[in-house]
Amino acid sequence: MNADSLPPIASPPSVAKPRRTILTLLATNIEIRMVFVIVLVMLVLSLASPYFFTVKNLLNVLDQSVIVGMVSLGETLVILIGGIDLSVGSLVGVTGIVLGLAMRHFGLAESFVLCLGAGALAGLTNGLIITYGRIAPFVVTLGMMSIGASLAYVLSGANSISDLPPGLGALSADTIIGIPLDFWCLLAVYAVCYWFLTSTKGGRTLYALGSNPEAARVAGLRVAAWSVIAYVVSGVMSSVAAIFLASRILSIDPIGGQGLELDAIAAVVIGGASLFGGRGSIIGTLLGVFVMVFIRNGLNLLNVSPYWQGTAIGSIIIVAVLAERLLSGARRRA
Amino acid sequence: MSSLELRDIWKAFGATQALAGAAIEVRPGEVHALVGANGAGKSTLSRIISGQVRPDRGSITLDGSPVRFSSSRDAILHGICMVTQETSLAPDLSVLENIMLPHLALPGRLRWRVLRAQGQALIAELGREAGLDLDTLVGDLSIGQRQLVEILKALALDSRFIIFDEPTAPLSPHEGERLFAIMRRLVARGRGLIFVSHRLEEIFTITDRVTVLREGRLVEGNLPIGSLSQGALVRLMVGRELQDIYGRRTARPPVPDSHPVVLRVRNLASPPMVRDVSFEVRAGEVLGLAGLVGAGRSETIETIFGLRRATSGTVELNGQPFTARTSREAIRAGIGLIPEDRRGQAIVPDFSVRENLLLAHLGARGGVGLGYASRTGAIRDLLAVLDLPERRLLDANMLTFSGGMQQKVILARGLLLSPRLLLLDEPTRGVDIATRSSIYALLRRVAGEGMACVVVSSDFEEIIGISDRITVLSDGVSVTTLPSQLVDVEKLAMFAAPRTSAEKTHTVLADLVARQGGMAYWIVVDGGRVFCFDRVGTDASADPGFAAGGFPLLAETVIAPALANPSAGFVPCTNGTRWTLLVPIFGQRGHSFGTVGLTLAGPPAGIDAAALSASIAGILSDPIDHALTETGQFA
Repeated sequence: MNADSLPPIASPPSVAKPRRTILTLLATNIEIRMVFVIVLVMLVLSLASPYFFTVKNLLNVLDQSVIVGMVSLGETLVILIGGIDLSVGSLVGVTGIVLGLAMRHFGLAESFVLCLGAGALAGLTNGLIITYGRIAPFVVTLGMMSIGASLAYVLSGANSISDLPPGLGALSADTIIGIPLDFWCLLAVYAVCYWFLTSTKGGRTLYALGSNPEAARVAGLRVAAWSVIAYVVSGVMSSVAAIFLASRILSIDPIGGQGLELDAIAAVVIGGASLFGGRGSIIGTLLGVFVMVFIRNGLNLLNVSPYWQGTAIGSIIIVAVLAERLLSGARRRA
Repeated sequence: MSSLELRDIWKAFGATQALAGAAIEVRPGEVHALVGANGAGKSTLSRIISGQVRPDRGSITLDGSPVRFSSSRDAILHGICMVTQETSLAPDLSVLENIMLPHLALPGRLRWRVLRAQGQALIAELGREAGLDLDTLVGDLSIGQRQLVEILKALALDSRFIIFDEPTAPLSPHEGERLFAIMRRLVARGRGLIFVSHRLEEIFTITDRVTVLREGRLVEGNLPIGSLSQGALVRLMVGRELQDIYGRRTARPPVPDSHPVVLRVRNLASPPMVRDVSFEVRAGEVLGLAGLVGAGRSETIETIFGLRRATSGTVELNGQPFTARTSREAIRAGIGLIPEDRRGQAIVPDFSVRENLLLAHLGARGGVGLGYASRTGAIRDLLAVLDLPERRLLDANMLTFSGGMQQKVILARGLLLSPRLLLLDEPTRGVDIATRSSIYALLRRVAGEGMACVVVSSDFEEIIGISDRITVLSDGVSVTTLPSQLVDVEKLAMFAAPRTSAEKTHTVLADLVARQGGMAYWIVVDGGRVFCFDRVGTDASADPGFAAGGFPLLAETVIAPALANPSAGFVPCTNGTRWTLLVPIFGQRGHSFGTVGLTLAGPPAGIDAAALSASIAGILSDPIDHALTETGQFA
């Protein structure tokens, strides 16, 4: 803000100055704070476990970030408009089953389309009921979560599908300059989403809608349409996650996405978004995803009992958001 | 000494120095006005007094001993409490439970029987006019009643000092009057009241002493209100003289008929608030929509703007039939709206000022991208016109600015798209007087450039000051359209009187016609014109020369001779065909409420004019008084 004020020409170069700039940077920008935290976490983990900084483990981390990352992207859009989507995890399960069943009869491309269509349909249902039926998103998506989980069992007969075409594995097996294809895909959709949120009418409409829906409506923004679209994208991103999940483990489980909604919401919130809507960034979410994945990975490497991992992750989420609140000076809406 | 005193109070929020040496001293048994332009620090000081905000520096003394409040609960325990603009009541609890809510925080067992008796006593103390029942759910009450519950809550705590922060803003004039009566009673019982308001008339009506803040500093403390004129007070508030804030309309020629009609509304209805509204606005004209709260003014312009559905009636824009189903369609058709509720309908709090300014641009735009860059030049010009500092403003958060600044930005949002028709709903609500005057100047300027403007305002003086013509709404019906130089506040109030409360008057007029024939009417004669508020009767041969909502020259009517001969009974008109009896009506407190007249198609046969006059005056002085007290303009 003070960039235009005159630089102090005569002031002697002080030793403390560079340290102050880092601190100011940390104080002003949540994304930079998070990079700092991630680096710190990586440092601690590489000291604590010799396996952490191995190529194999890091590739594993990248792989894991793809699934959570895809779901979190859709969740970001929904949370930005002040909504919430609890159905994403179970939609990963049911759309995965749709994919598996479709591949028994059709080629890869057709099966992908069917899978994405199923996710879009579920998201559209969520969006229409929430937007036009004016029912709380929590309730509607909770219902959809139950429906999705149930349909996944019905369609699969409660069995995993493992007779998958070999071509499917290429998505996560192939690499470009040493990095798996699926991770490149993740970066690509995040890049598109970044452009969408910062430089398009639709993106800004989502922010305005989350911040003050009535003002957005009065100003002539297409509030209802974009609200529905946010939920559709969230449903589609569940399908995308289902495809990559199937490609990675070459088997589809009806409960494959169980609990993903919590990881996704946690990643979005750790990334600085407000559950009241109107605040958050896609870069923050991506970094939030990395935080989540690194911590899970670290707990595994440190041989923390799976029973205790939930407690650890839960505590870390709460502490992270609390710390963020304190650091940003609690400038929440009045 | 028994008093509440704050001295040399400093408070900063981030980079903003809200208070820099503010002070106030309140005694029991007085109403103390805390005034200042927007951003003067009135709200911050109120919140410090009531313990919601802690000062950075300064002293608070209560009855001579220093105190520190660390929370509003702390202040409450010291007998200080605040009646807020946004009511802090629990809508799902009863009136009694709300009043006694703070008792839940006290130790010991709750004894509802005792509390109920206390509640009854409090209601009795405040007067029962408000019709409050202890067992009603607060959610079912009107805004005025809720405010009363807040006051009761303050009294239940035995508060000695009560802060009223803009208490009349959400109230109808009648409710405002009732509040003042209650405030007077509280003062008589030895409470000290702090009254924060923008409305000068109210300050002069209710307060004893005034403390003026400007930019967080104390300008003058403890001035007796009697020692001040309105002009002097404004000077203290803004630090300079404001010459004629409406940009005097005497120099303004009427808008010629050659200007094209931009908006024509015919019999528009959008139930329940809008029932039958007709008016038109020409290019370059400012049309005021006057009326009481609940008359359907905001709803009318929201219907035109596509925020509500019209069920019948037509709207023509530039001569073409026009129906907006969404605000987007309205904006694209060249209509701008400055909505009534700035915080609720206009500001996007998480957006920078720049994006807030560009919001309507975004709404109107087709395509995928933002196109912000295309507006950079226009924004710079607008900010210059609005006297807003571009550099400091654009990347900052909206909420860090005063109400006046925010309103200017919202105005700029509407003007950015160069609409042909601008609809403004209460454009100066909660805006300081300096900004008000620049908003008026801007309105005149854009009208001068050919924009058509429709302004809704509850402030009758404002609407007379800024409009070329005024359409008066009452209970969802447009009753008349008048040139603004013909009317004053009292006549507007008579036209605006709610039809429901004018019903008894109407019934009496109808009864008169049923018994005597001819036409009966209620009028005011002023400045050589007859203003007709109501007329009953179908006998065209007894037409007095005006209809309800009309305002013809006296000479064009048949009642001039009757007016010239008061107490002469029925008087024939100049050509002797129509005979007229006029009866002046006075309210209980001696205010003139105009004249009721009866015109017959021939000489009266067997009517005792004197007895009839007396009975009309007797019956009517009451209901008209009642109807007009509702409007609050005759208090």
